[in-house]
Amino acid sequence: MRQMFKVENLHMSYGQDEILKGISLDVTHGESLAIIGESGAGKTTFGLSIMRLVEGNVSGKIILDDLDLLSLPEDSMRKLRWNKVSMVFQNSNNVLNPVHKIIDQVIEPMTEHRLKNKLDARESASALLISTGFPKHRFNAYPHQLSGGEQQRVLIAMALANDPELIIMDEPLSSLDATSTAEIIDMLRSLQQNHIFIITTHDISTAARLADKVATMYAGRIMEFGPSAEVLSDPRHPYTRALLRSYPNMTTGKDLQGVKGQMDRSVSGCTFHPRCTQAIEICTTEAPSLVVHKGKHLACHRGGIITMLATKNMSKSYGNLKVVDSVSLNIKAGETLALVGQSGSGKTTLVRMITGLVKQDNGEVYLEGTRICKIDKDFCRKVQMIFQNPGEALSHRLDVLELVREPLDIQGIGSKEEREGKVIQVLREVELPTNEHFLETYPHHLSGGEMQRVCIARALVMNPEVLIADEPTSFLDPSVQAKILKLLLNLQEQRGLTMLIITHDIAVARKVSDRIAIMSLGKIVEEGTLTEVVDTPKHPHTKSLLQAAASLHRN
Amino acid sequence: MHLDPKREVTHSSVGRLGIALFLLIVLMAVFAPLLANHDPIEQTIHSLESPSLNHLLGTNHVGQDIWSQLVHGARTSLLVGLLVALLSTILSAIVGTSAALIGGLYDRIVMRIVDAFIVMPLLIVMILVSAYLGAGLGATILLLSLLSWQGGARIVRSQSLSLKERVHISAARGFGANKLYIMRRHLIPDLGTILIVDFIYSVRRAIFLQAGLAFIGIGDPNIVSWGTMMREALDWIFLDVWRWWLLPAGIALSLTIVSITFIGHALEPALDPRLKDEANV
Repeated sequence: MRQMFKVENLHMSYGQDEILKGISLDVTHGESLAIIGESGAGKTTFGLSIMRLVEGNVSGKIILDDLDLLSLPEDSMRKLRWNKVSMVFQNSNNVLNPVHKIIDQVIEPMTEHRLKNKLDARESASALLISTGFPKHRFNAYPHQLSGGEQQRVLIAMALANDPELIIMDEPLSSLDATSTAEIIDMLRSLQQNHIFIITTHDISTAARLADKVATMYAGRIMEFGPSAEVLSDPRHPYTRALLRSYPNMTTGKDLQGVKGQMDRSVSGCTFHPRCTQAIEICTTEAPSLVVHKGKHLACHRGGIITMLATKNMSKSYGNLKVVDSVSLNIKAGETLALVGQSGSGKTTLVRMITGLVKQDNGEVYLEGTRICKIDKDFCRKVQMIFQNPGEALSHRLDVLELVREPLDIQGIGSKEEREGKVIQVLREVELPTNEHFLETYPHHLSGGEMQRVCIARALVMNPEVLIADEPTSFLDPSVQAKILKLLLNLQEQRGLTMLIITHDIAVARKVSDRIAIMSLGKIVEEGTLTEVVDTPKHPHTKSLLQAAASLHRN
Repeated sequence: MHLDPKREVTHSSVGRLGIALFLLIVLMAVFAPLLANHDPIEQTIHSLESPSLNHLLGTNHVGQDIWSQLVHGARTSLLVGLLVALLSTILSAIVGTSAALIGGLYDRIVMRIVDAFIVMPLLIVMILVSAYLGAGLGATILLLSLLSWQGGARIVRSQSLSLKERVHISAARGFGANKLYIMRRHLIPDLGTILIVDFIYSVRRAIFLQAGLAFIGIGDPNIVSWGTMMREALDWIFLDVWRWWLLPAGIALSLTIVSITFIGHALEPALDPRLKDEANV
């Protein structure tokens, strides 16, 4: 039977402060598991708890080869450390003993446990150090004489010294430059067959390259756990997606977005709910358990990121002309889908059908899984649209205050004072002035960028779930366009807005969207993640759009 | 673009002249009791007198003071004109915008009714109906209103059809606005200038029609009106009295109508050029 490492319901607390809140994981021999998350999530504590090197109260089970590490007496545990379980500590200046030479420190675990005599130990230690890429002539150096990267290599060599089964690595590559990282990764990969690696890191690329399985940890809980390729390419938990969005890499093209708010370990219910973009009632009271959901483990009351808006077989003809031909789209909550196509491809008609401004011949619209039969006030409250030309979308008869208040007036939300309060708040959110003078300005005295911000404020004042933007920047110059796009991204980060952005400009789409759908002659001809569509376009129309896209080169 | 009817009128000399004349008539009507030194319907034995200090324009065949009748006649004309215009413009606005917004069967039925009214010879219908219903001032106002909103409704409808496709109205619909809200907050304000012009031409037409009806003898003879004055004066045309009886009434009526026409004319540049001809109806 293959050896297993298993953690069951692991809790850890320092007094009142609960750091780990019931972690359950399993890894089989030859596999590596990466635990990713922000700092403070409890990753390091998790590693140290396995080593039983924490001072707080630990409960639950940590099973390695049918042996519960937590129930072992300290004496036997000491024997296991370095021999069966070892750890690469997060590199800092005080991990290595400053008064011993490097080579002696790598020898120490071997001789300490009397596994080898001094001579053999020296030999294997130097072999190990060399395999980590540590330069031979520096074996006798002292830690303070080494660079951060060299220290890191020493730490890895120490952890490997006694050939343990389980190696816990806490940010093993964080102090290495890119090329050294690649070397170490190669080395670790070659060792992977015979070990279990647990890598805790905030560096997602390390996780992607080293780990077979990935778990995202947030405030002491596992949010999502599954095969790394799946978790990282198709994150299902809002937190995993937010982490990926905030991580600079060469795979995704969308501008960076962070996770809103700050981590707070003491909240009730799902610990992530204050920062989650789709939290509902139950999330604030009950912590979700980690359950298997479509091949992955997921801790979310809503079954992961929900599908916010969907269309099914939407069609519209004017006479013989099929303007929109059986279009089905799915947009997940908090996601941006860019609908890209030439003018006349039916993009605008499609969104006008979704918002009920044009009646479809055929097809259905679903909002949060419920079919929408009639466009009523509730639907309008949740789905809002920004029009192409901000100048036309604003009545010249109303001033800024009246314009932004209009949706609230129509929906009858709040008292007059509450409405004005909301107007001020939303104007701040779209970075517009809120002084009396500005509130009394009429739209023809605003610049294009300001008008579009007013339009966005109007759309946001009702707190919609979905924002549909029809060519939101086509009337604006590049610098204003950049600001508006940035604003939309920030709003998505803060509010978790689901966005459908219509544009003819694939370069714009590349900056703001998670997924792209290419529309041509009323049909969706290609759809996929941003990277898929932009890097490996399949349909000839997509290719020609990409070819014609804005570029700073001559051809 | 802001359309400012006030600026359009005050910035043209024709408009200013129109306003000045119209104000004069209004002042005459408002201060009629002060300006008139006799009761306009009190009959005396001093019939057909020439102008004197006591009777500025002489007296008519039953001894009524013509000057007093003239200034009180302004009240009748303006009352009928303004009320009829108000009622018919409101009707035009409601019918026109609702037909454009609701569309479908409602639109078709309403517009056929409008067509039916438009082909009817207005004057004959009015003579017949007045003959049946009697011809008090209230009845005249009501009748004129009911017979004069149709043209306006057509203009309002056609304009609303294009206005309702404007993006800011789509935006309001996107916020969940119902048709009543769109009509109230967006369409009617946007139609403002058109409605003002429609109102002004309705005033003109109502004054003209009321005078016409009175002239051909339909209407309460006890109501002092320029039309009645002219009809009565015509019976005595063989005397000199027409100079201070027929002429002042005719001039007063003409000046009123001309002043309104001037105001309307000055407003026209504020309108869609295509509507200019229709608005002149």
